[in-house]
Amino acid sequence: MRTGIYFCNCGSNIAEKISATAVVEAAASFPEQNYVATVDFICSEDGKLQFEESLKAEQPDRVVVAACSPRDHEGTFRRCLSNAGINPYLMQMVNIREQIAWVTEDPAVATQKAIRAIHGAVCRVEKQLPLEKKQLEVCPDALVIGAGPAGMKAALALAEAGRTVTLLERTPFIGGLPVRFEELFPALECAPCMLEPLMGELLHGEHAGRIELMTMSELVEVTGFYGNFIAKIRQKPRHVSLRDCIGCGECVEVCPASATNEFKNNVSLRKAIDFTFAGVLPNAPFLDQATCIRWQGQECRACKDACPMGADVINLEEQETVVERRIGSIILASGSGLYDAAHVAGMGMGTLQDVYDALQFERLLSSTGPTGGQIVTKAGQAPRTVAIIHCVGSLDEAHKPYCSGICCQYAFKFNHLISAKIPEAVITHYHRELVLPGKEAQTLFNHAVRSGKSRLKRYGSIADLAISRDTNGSMLVSSEGEAFPADLVILCPAVIPAEGTDQLSALLDVSLDSSGFFRELHARTDAAQSSIRGVYLAGSCREPMDIQKAIQEGMAAVGHLLSGLQPGRTIDIEPICAEVDETRCSGCHLCVSVCPYRAISFDTEHNASSINAVLCCGCGTCVAACPSGAITGHHFTNEQIMAEMEGVLK
Amino acid sequence: MSEKPKLAVYWAASCGGCEIAVVNLHEKLLDVDAALDFMFCPCLLDTKKKDIEALPDGAIAVTLFNGALRTDENVEMAHLLRRKSQILVAFGSCAKGGCVPALANFSTPEQLLNTVYLDNPSVDNPDSIIPCGTTGFPGGQIHLPGLLGRVKHLAQEVDVDYSIPGCPPESHQIWNVIEVILSGDLPPKGSTIGCGALTVCDDCDRTKQEKRITAFRRNYEFCPEPEICLLEQGMLCMGIATRSGCGAPCTKANMPCTGCYGAPEGISDQGAKMVAALGSVMDIGDTTDLSEDEIAGRVDAFLAAIPDYAGMFYKYTLASSTLGGKR
Repeated sequence: MRTGIYFCNCGSNIAEKISATAVVEAAASFPEQNYVATVDFICSEDGKLQFEESLKAEQPDRVVVAACSPRDHEGTFRRCLSNAGINPYLMQMVNIREQIAWVTEDPAVATQKAIRAIHGAVCRVEKQLPLEKKQLEVCPDALVIGAGPAGMKAALALAEAGRTVTLLERTPFIGGLPVRFEELFPALECAPCMLEPLMGELLHGEHAGRIELMTMSELVEVTGFYGNFIAKIRQKPRHVSLRDCIGCGECVEVCPASATNEFKNNVSLRKAIDFTFAGVLPNAPFLDQATCIRWQGQECRACKDACPMGADVINLEEQETVVERRIGSIILASGSGLYDAAHVAGMGMGTLQDVYDALQFERLLSSTGPTGGQIVTKAGQAPRTVAIIHCVGSLDEAHKPYCSGICCQYAFKFNHLISAKIPEAVITHYHRELVLPGKEAQTLFNHAVRSGKSRLKRYGSIADLAISRDTNGSMLVSSEGEAFPADLVILCPAVIPAEGTDQLSALLDVSLDSSGFFRELHARTDAAQSSIRGVYLAGSCREPMDIQKAIQEGMAAVGHLLSGLQPGRTIDIEPICAEVDETRCSGCHLCVSVCPYRAISFDTEHNASSINAVLCCGCGTCVAACPSGAITGHHFTNEQIMAEMEGVLK
Repeated sequence: MSEKPKLAVYWAASCGGCEIAVVNLHEKLLDVDAALDFMFCPCLLDTKKKDIEALPDGAIAVTLFNGALRTDENVEMAHLLRRKSQILVAFGSCAKGGCVPALANFSTPEQLLNTVYLDNPSVDNPDSIIPCGTTGFPGGQIHLPGLLGRVKHLAQEVDVDYSIPGCPPESHQIWNVIEVILSGDLPPKGSTIGCGALTVCDDCDRTKQEKRITAFRRNYEFCPEPEICLLEQGMLCMGIATRSGCGAPCTKANMPCTGCYGAPEGISDQGAKMVAALGSVMDIGDTTDLSEDEIAGRVDAFLAAIPDYAGMFYKYTLASSTLGGKR
């Protein structure tokens, strides 16, 4: 076996410290058959040509390139090998620039180091084997989980790009959290109006035909892997056809049963068949089996009979179904919720009247809410004093250690909306920190502090605050010895992952961070990807954020998805991956849990682990962990690594 | 003079368990006797060293040599039996990898003798006599074999044809080996025989699932579930990194495998492999926001359940390991 050693001077970068002549001399005494060629800049156009020509002329069995970091140019030189008709995996690079020339003072020592490293590479490369990339057919379609701002934007953008999208939503409506709000920070835009064009396009626009919206649906199982997932989706019966219903509401009028309505803060009632709230999209009611008298044994078909669109719109016999969809990638946009302020002692949440958390207060502000947008206490009075308590359960080791980053902004929005409706109201903000990032957030803050009716009070710990009702029934917020009256208290709790995030994590093997949000592949450079190939993250399921950022994240995930899987194109399967020798696997299962990419599954039929080459990133964790030596890391075999070490040391 | 091929079983630094394993062949011993001339076994037979010395070289067909090499005498016998035997088998974990005697390689011979004869609450030795080599005392002199600086396994001293693992080797496997030898259809020289090629997990019937161990527990601490993998229950079971072939009698008896069959085929260092495997599945909890010191503290607390690393991971293989002992 003959190895061609290519020594790059890298101008003076390498040549200044490492003597090419000494390397040539030393290589002549290597027991392994070889030749050495010196090139000035092997990565330059001339250098690459010279390299390729030399490879074609010499026809070496193996190639060593002693130059820069493989992170710089391993790909470049592999392509040169391919161009010269040599399998690209028969090359080994030695990083004599960063790891030797740049970090070694004495040229004589540097040269000796380089000779040893090159000898190691020569010994290693002899053990290297030709490897081939494999191709895999893929499905370009996508599943988007969550029809909030991030998910809707992603689904629409994918449909616009010609992809078929299944958009899954757990609730009966789309729009996520903000569609329930009246106005939004920072510019006080009407939330449903702002989202309406997006929702309209999604439901009825030019590309809506490629979006399958499934409301009241949840993911129950995912099998397969990047490019070829099969998702099982459980759809609860809505009993109203989204395709045929025009949203006239005739069925609601005649429905005899009703129950409290959480979208009206459980103050007013909803019918068994009803819209979630006025103006909801899709514009169709849903039937709540828990309220409908048919499910309590009575015979009633009032809604069905009242429907002017025919007998097919309302289906009282509809059953829960589980359907399968084949997709290539998944975008998680399952959103967030609020930490239950009842967990924070002294806040009166759930025990004192006229204490609301931010989501409940948004509904109070909303024209589709329980009071039609009027701010009133339970007693029906306009509040003269309002306390807004920031950082409830945030920045607090006993609850949530992080700052949610959006609460201060909506708190000052509340201030603005309250003072617009009740100009004489005195509003006190109790805060631990004030966080108002970005170029627009200060507007609402400035408005509040300049109004003359607002007070800011900083507290050190939420334990210093107490909300109570005195004997006359007036509410007081006491803090560090002072007490101020508050007819209405609004709590701004920490933003937490939406309910069901845990289950999605378990279904998809996407790990969660210590706060329960989905963990990114890399929090800075790859925040839109999860550690599972083909599963992307968008919006507040990843971290608390505002609508602007959520929508941008939806687009970011779409970018990954579109560039990753393209119709008619296959994906390459990298041959540097791990493989299980079934005949040597004893079935201990140890490797299954160590794989950070969930590429290993257990084949019960053969009682052996099996590695999916599409998902495997070749990290070698399982190779090191396998106690029976049944896993080989291709291109990093024990034999290759030992040969390199021995080559360096001998 | 018998025409049958000669069989010798010798013990060096060992406990006698390997002989018991041979005797545990029970009635099959009659078959052994029918086929072979069982002519040397200091534990069972009266043949002496001089009788062996009197034999022509290569006169013994097979010697099953058990025990590690601890003394000059062990080494002398290893060379003698090598010379006299056509096939020399390292029989059992001591001969194959040093086993428990090799754990002494963490101490010097002086430290060992000091502990045994002087610095020990049960010893009464007013004259501080350490009997080793030639020792004089009022009644005369006694001669004991000298200790080697380090315990060796058989192949570190003489050429070994085959190894049979186990502490002791399972009797059914001893019979398998005898059958193979009698058949004349011998495996390649250097093979480990009388065992499987996989790990004890392959022999063990417990159900195995994904492993994520939140705490190590020792066997006196709890009574493990009978159906579930012991390692998954936190018990330090060496089965994952131990060669198969024993039939997993320990895990069947609710006891963890301690690794006596040594490293599986293709693994050079059983202890290192076990450590790498355990390190991969130790779950020290979420380390987000923890300092390096705090993480190290969690790992230390986790590992505090293992009082003796060498005894845990290298009980059977220290002499043949990369580590080798204290140098």
